[in-house]
Amino acid sequence: MSILEVRDLSVEFTQRGGHRLRAVDSVSFDLRAGETLALVGESGSGKSTVARALCRLVAPSSGEVLLRGAPAGRRGQALRRYRREVQLVLQDPFASLNPSFSVEHHVRRPLRISGHPRARIDQRIDELLQSVNLSPPRVMAKKYPHELSGGQRQRVAIARALAPDPAVMLADEPVSMLDVSIRLEILNLLDALKRDRNLALLYITHDLATARHFSGRIMVMYRGEIVEYGPADEVILNPAHPYTQLLESAVPRAAVTRDQLTVARRARLQERKTAPPAERRELAADTGCRFRGRCPRAMDICTTHPPDFAVSAEHTARCWLHDPAGVAGRTA
Amino acid sequence: MTTMSQEPMTTASAAAGQLSARADDVVLRAEHISVEYAGAAPTRAVRNVSLELRRGEVLGIAGESGCGKSTLAYALARLLRPPASLAGGTIRFYGRDRSDPVDIMALDAAALRRFRWAKVSMVFQSAMNALNPVISVGKQFADIFIEHVPEMDRAARDERCRELLEMVGIAPDRIRSFPHELSGGMRQRVVIAMALALQPEIVIMDEPTTALDVVVQQEILDEILRLKEEIGFSVIFITHDLSLLLDISDRLAIMYAGEIVEYGYSEQVAARPSHPYTYGLLHSFPDLRADRHELRGVPGSPPDLRTTIDGCAFAPRCKFAFDPCPSIHPELRSPSHAPRLAVVPGAGQVIGPDTYSQGWGVACHLHDPRLRPAGPPAEITQPAGSPAPAAAEGDDT
Repeated sequence: MSILEVRDLSVEFTQRGGHRLRAVDSVSFDLRAGETLALVGESGSGKSTVARALCRLVAPSSGEVLLRGAPAGRRGQALRRYRREVQLVLQDPFASLNPSFSVEHHVRRPLRISGHPRARIDQRIDELLQSVNLSPPRVMAKKYPHELSGGQRQRVAIARALAPDPAVMLADEPVSMLDVSIRLEILNLLDALKRDRNLALLYITHDLATARHFSGRIMVMYRGEIVEYGPADEVILNPAHPYTQLLESAVPRAAVTRDQLTVARRARLQERKTAPPAERRELAADTGCRFRGRCPRAMDICTTHPPDFAVSAEHTARCWLHDPAGVAGRTA
Repeated sequence: MTTMSQEPMTTASAAAGQLSARADDVVLRAEHISVEYAGAAPTRAVRNVSLELRRGEVLGIAGESGCGKSTLAYALARLLRPPASLAGGTIRFYGRDRSDPVDIMALDAAALRRFRWAKVSMVFQSAMNALNPVISVGKQFADIFIEHVPEMDRAARDERCRELLEMVGIAPDRIRSFPHELSGGMRQRVVIAMALALQPEIVIMDEPTTALDVVVQQEILDEILRLKEEIGFSVIFITHDLSLLLDISDRLAIMYAGEIVEYGYSEQVAARPSHPYTYGLLHSFPDLRADRHELRGVPGSPPDLRTTIDGCAFAPRCKFAFDPCPSIHPELRSPSHAPRLAVVPGAGQVIGPDTYSQGWGVACHLHDPRLRPAGPPAEITQPAGSPAPAAAEGDDT
């Protein structure tokens, strides 16, 4: 069942000189209860802006967000109700917790604000800390952020997000600041919480591997657009959009030999000689496919903006290569 | 061959010496390096680490934040600043001109200035911080030459700068650009070109691609390895990203709590990690393309380096810890399963099992037949890629 429906969401920022930058361009997707949807892309692609627009930290310039079928509240009481349901976990647990307040304070505030019965708040704090494996909760509650490790801080941030009992959790690069050895603990925790609480989880990351392993579906974002959207295994193992293919091929391969790596490396260097990536042409926005300047398979038709084409039942790609009418099919 | 031994060079290094055949194979040898950060209780960030860097190789150093990997790199280039100081150890540099070894610790200030950048240069994580934002790229190159090659005139400096930019895939007319006019990847390329400006023999790279996107990261890594082949320098590559190191480094060392707990050829370590920590790190990130299975990471956190650690620093986090671990400090030794492999991957040659094991060391009691006659548990010695014991739990779709 979809909890949060996003329809043609766009976010624009005004740049110096009055130019409009469209950071998020007509993005549509839905978040389902008990499911993780991953949003992947490079820095600057607009991933975080999507999360910020969804929890109304920035105002969308157009588009619609439906929570359980009803339009998201835009102001006042309705907005507060909406925000309670849609919670955000940020990347940097060193910055997202206030150093001068205890763990308890961070979790108590959202409970108070969401009108939790006062008599039961202490008990609820303990439950929340327990649910993110911060134990013993009474001891952890009294600690301050500087006394905690990065992983523990991120657990506090998660407990705080859970406090208002949300239906949707937006996790914006929740583990990229953490050490490799503890990333999985946090991801496993988010996964378990999602299952136990039937949360709809949006997992924003640049890490394709964890995106695949922890989510049901994946969206790939490039310069504000969703260029590919589909079941996680399909998108990663059988990427349809040339950008997803590029991302996939750039992930180090542990399973091949050094000789194969060397051969692949030489081939890539040779290929790049023809189009030096460092001086890569960035195309003016709005006309045609935005990836075509970097695309190894760009064609004439790519100057026309492509619509989403179906790759399989639930899998779409915004690329002319998948046009069933075959305009591209012949040259592909 | 290498020795990264925490014991005085004994049989292992003798055998290693034979294998490497020529002493001039080694470009940097560091022995018993210890670094302390001053404080009420000094933080012993690097604890008695020895390593050899061979000519033309990429030596990867992996570990979590706070394990001492960057501190070690700074120590090797003699860049430590108070409160950090070298508490012990020697670092020798063996130049390609086969002159006498340079005792880096003994250099005076002037000699050290001449030595650094010319022989050993560094690339840091944040290119924006490494470059001066108010000075053009060309001027920053010129500064290097003015300091190190004063006889070069302006035209020659410009010419060399353009050459270097072109070498790393940047249009030579970028000589007039300022750092903010370049993308993150281009800045890191500029920093790499600067590091190579004086044709150093060693480039120490501290997380050079961590701030970059995966596509740009791959481009930069490809570029580094190409330049290494063309120009012929050695690289010490420091990162927390073990999967990246497996991709690019010839050999790697895993650091934990200021010590090297395992070293060896990248492929051998990847296939059969011998230290439980290495095993844990290798199982801390899912393989993009492999089947899904449950992954745990390494629960717990590293020890406080201000305290004395009697036994194995990893013991409190180790699920295989047994009697001696908390009390007896493990020394580097050959993994018990090392002799079973005979081929050095990637080296294109077959070497006998004994020599192979000499290039591989692990500081773990599980591999000590006196303490554990049965050898390490099958779980950590099984070849990677075999099915994980825990069955995969399906995800949400």
